Amino acid sequence: MTGRARGVGGSVLRPDGLAKAGGTFVYAGDLSAPGMLHARTLRSPHPRARIRRVDTAAALRIPGVAAVVTAVDVPGVATYGLIVADQPVFAATETRYAGEPVAAVAAVDAPTARRALAAVEVEYEPLPPLVDPEVAAGPGAEPLHPDGNVFREITLRHGDPDAVGPVVVEDSYLVGMQDQAFLAPEAALVVPAADGGVDMWLATQWLHSDREQIAACLGLPEELVRLELAGVGGAFGGREDVTLQVHGALLARATGTPVRIAYDRVESFLGHPHRHPARMWFRHTATEAGDLVSVHARIIMDGGAYASSSPAVIANAVTHAAGPYRVPNARLDGLVVRTNNPPCGAMRGFGVPQVTIGHEAQMDRLADRLRMDPVGLRVRNALQPGDVLPTGQVLGPPLPAREAIEAVAARPLPAALTAASPVTARPGGRGAHADLARVRRGVGYALAYKNLLFSEGFDDSSTARARLELDADGRPVATIHSACAEVGQGFVTVAGQIARTELGVDEVVLRPADTGVGSAGSTSASRQTWMSGGAVRGACVAVVDRLLARVARRLGLPPEVVEAPRRALVITGGEIVGAETGTRLTLAEALAEGPVEAEHTFHHRRTTALDAHGQGDPHVAFAAAAHRAVVDVDLDLGLVRVVSMALAQDCGTVLNPLSLRGQVEGGTAQGLGLAVMEELVTVDGVVTNPTLHDYLLPTTADVPALDFVALTYPQPDAPYGVKGVGETPTCTATAAVLAAVRAAVGRDLRRVPVRPGDLVDLADPVDPLGGAPYLGNKAAWGQPGEMERG
Amino acid sequence: MTTPGGPSTALHRPGTVGEAVAALAAEARAGRPVELLAGGTDLVPALRTGTRPPAAIVALRRVLELRVRGAGADTLTIGAGVTYTELAGWSLSPGLAATSRVVGSVQIRNCGTVGGALGSANPRGDLLTFLTAAQAEVLLTSEDGSRAAGLDDFLSAGRLPGELVTAVRVPRPSGPQTYLKIGGRQAAFPSLVSCALLVDRVRERVCCAVGGVAARPWRVAEAERLAAADVDWSTGTAPAALARRFGELAAAGVRAASPLGEDPRHPLEYRVHAAGVLAARAFARCLTARSAPRRESAP
Repeated sequence: MTGRARGVGGSVLRPDGLAKAGGTFVYAGDLSAPGMLHARTLRSPHPRARIRRVDTAAALRIPGVAAVVTAVDVPGVATYGLIVADQPVFAATETRYAGEPVAAVAAVDAPTARRALAAVEVEYEPLPPLVDPEVAAGPGAEPLHPDGNVFREITLRHGDPDAVGPVVVEDSYLVGMQDQAFLAPEAALVVPAADGGVDMWLATQWLHSDREQIAACLGLPEELVRLELAGVGGAFGGREDVTLQVHGALLARATGTPVRIAYDRVESFLGHPHRHPARMWFRHTATEAGDLVSVHARIIMDGGAYASSSPAVIANAVTHAAGPYRVPNARLDGLVVRTNNPPCGAMRGFGVPQVTIGHEAQMDRLADRLRMDPVGLRVRNALQPGDVLPTGQVLGPPLPAREAIEAVAARPLPAALTAASPVTARPGGRGAHADLARVRRGVGYALAYKNLLFSEGFDDSSTARARLELDADGRPVATIHSACAEVGQGFVTVAGQIARTELGVDEVVLRPADTGVGSAGSTSASRQTWMSGGAVRGACVAVVDRLLARVARRLGLPPEVVEAPRRALVITGGEIVGAETGTRLTLAEALAEGPVEAEHTFHHRRTTALDAHGQGDPHVAFAAAAHRAVVDVDLDLGLVRVVSMALAQDCGTVLNPLSLRGQVEGGTAQGLGLAVMEELVTVDGVVTNPTLHDYLLPTTADVPALDFVALTYPQPDAPYGVKGVGETPTCTATAAVLAAVRAAVGRDLRRVPVRPGDLVDLADPVDPLGGAPYLGNKAAWGQPGEMERG
Repeated sequence: MTTPGGPSTALHRPGTVGEAVAALAAEARAGRPVELLAGGTDLVPALRTGTRPPAAIVALRRVLELRVRGAGADTLTIGAGVTYTELAGWSLSPGLAATSRVVGSVQIRNCGTVGGALGSANPRGDLLTFLTAAQAEVLLTSEDGSRAAGLDDFLSAGRLPGELVTAVRVPRPSGPQTYLKIGGRQAAFPSLVSCALLVDRVRERVCCAVGGVAARPWRVAEAERLAAADVDWSTGTAPAALARRFGELAAAGVRAASPLGEDPRHPLEYRVHAAGVLAARAFARCLTARSAPRRESAP
């Protein structure tokens, strides 16, 4: 293909696609160095315990053990964290969740390291854990940390907080803890450097944030901590926090030897923060005609033991709690609480999937109450650009929410299940052999919007460098250098496409992402194509400007052309052409006198923090999506099979249709997983299913082919008009499947993932919310006056 | 790459049952904990996480004697090294075939063995549930000789030190058989609740076991008695109402058993209910007039 065909807009293949499909791609866990040591982590079995004593002497006596490090070996800051540094590198005097690191060992091989872990003596005094967020935030609850038990509380008031419409629906909903469950567990290779620093190859989402936290804990200047991205096998938010980085660096520095530190599957489930479990209460009121009058919501999220991204997640949950609907009056309250459960943080959707489950269940109930079509009710209330959001922010264009729900509703429905359908197409598959007469089909819809990029005044810039030069054979080649973490989203593809389009070259080399260039920010928040794509484009544009100016100067073109060479010269088909000036020379000729290089830092428009009433201009932009799910339910067993998923999504300009498809299919599958199977279960703070045997992910037998419609209105302030696409479908998929199950079984559902026992008539049914129709603990909210039921 | 159990783990790779039991005996005499390795579907993950650190491993893949299955006049004998994939296509035992087809994923079925299912003795295990209904016998060999044990006795007492499970023996089928199971997704899932049902047209009885509810696969005797009494044995059929009643009795029977540990997502109440549904479904599949006797091959 030519540079143009492999530029922006084409379904260019991933440069690493074949290696990944063929099993030759090198992931972080595959790295090795001569003489390296193997490191493993000792974790607390107790969700809460005082540590009376840690004795590493016996472990150190084991032949082959090179080092054991604990809290006393941390030379710098003892804690780290993405927003607040409240998480100890190692628990020192108290452990706050089951799985918290207490020590790490390095040994000549992994089995020896494992034996050493067993030999580290830790004397715990177990304390009663606080695992209920409403209790942990309540009066008299013992503080679990010097920072207290409330990570953040948001009270949003919009319009007339007392306004209510004549039609009222209200209920509470429960969302379980989903795990990112990326397939390549955490791993890093750390090499101590002669200058006293460390070089680290690792799988992460944000190299520079890792570096800042690692350097602080090591007590080193940042320039002595050099990070390079190693092959990442999925992330979904779960690699945004530091996990094994500091431990590996401490061991490498203690031993003066390269250290490979890696988690196994169980440790991976315990090692990174998960999606926040949520308890949510909603009350929607509307006119008889079906116009929303008010939305009241209270959301309690369990942040687990440490802050991670909790303060930002709750802001997303609260500001999106009313959904993509015109809501003149809103009271939206959110609280995220510290408990002795595993820490929760970033995961695809970042607080929005939880509230979408709630607001969409409410919209379905409202439609029932009004005897309206659920699609019609959503169309009637869907936000349009220019509408005012509950934060007071004015919605900028484009946001085709109405079009999205109309588009999925118009898609053809799948054929009914018949006796001729294979048994594997019935709910429960081959083993359940569902009785066709007892299988009921349901159709459900969900509409949502999700913010793009970082919010609340954060200037999350991205820097990239571009260089254009001749290779050894005299052909022009572009080199792009960005610290953007490729975690599967396709930046490595799109960066090359952008460079080819802007520079008019075929050959683009993407340098490894490392800390040798400025920060690209996190690969999260649907931001990298926009932000780092913008940085790459800006750097390429600057390279072109410099090259054209150089050409204009060399050819002695008039000063006004030298000043603004793009007015007279263009790069096309590998040549620099100027019609007015009669210029025509090849890129190779233009580059003969040397390379051209430029760096660009891209910023999005500024946003503002939320004020005391949750008002502001907090989000850069939004993307909308609608899913229609069709399910079959075995009414006798409560088993669900998702028959079809249709998605219409607001995508902005599409830079790579194939990449886009990958993102929306993956997002749909992950949302489907939360709806019907994915739940990390804790009992008294201890995870009971930390394996892929017990934590089930959807397989190809569970995820139907996606019927996808891309809505492609350019985003005016984004490069090429792009929008981020990775998170939005995750927000709607869960809610749509839930709505379809509700339609099939004819009962309101209050818990996600839906459990088969919730769908059948049991003699002694279990109420997921313990019978409480409202989130009861008034004192937990700090404003008792706000908590009345009416 | 390091040795699975670490450099200090002794690895035995016998070629015959005799060599295997000699290795087991030697390790038993030395008092060292030893693990048997066949398909490795349970042991290898445990070695990786370090939860089972054995001093010695006896790897059985080279013991070809264990990979044989055969039919006698009244019984089928399945070597401990036979895999699920091999059983999934075995026409002589439709019940074993049905069970094996729904075990785990293709990869697990290719590796996992009959001996492994008995060794791990997962109380929810698919094969264990079927073998309970089939009244299987377990054949064991040690340096002192061979013996046969009833499955229940085997599950209660386990292997003696130095013993190797060499095969299981089940009666030859004399009627329709089926195995149903449910779990967390459409395919490739561990059993949550399961039901094995075998119709014996010669002895005019039905054998049915439920997995995932009681502390071990549970024979539902009351339901079996109802079937023996009320099935029309001249045709081997029963009306739909009898299937429902059979399911109710099966649920009641398993409810009375000592329960498996609590599952936070799937309360006992649901699992008992599901057991009843599966038992009724299995009964109907094997005994309704419309379709019985039915081959187990899925539509």
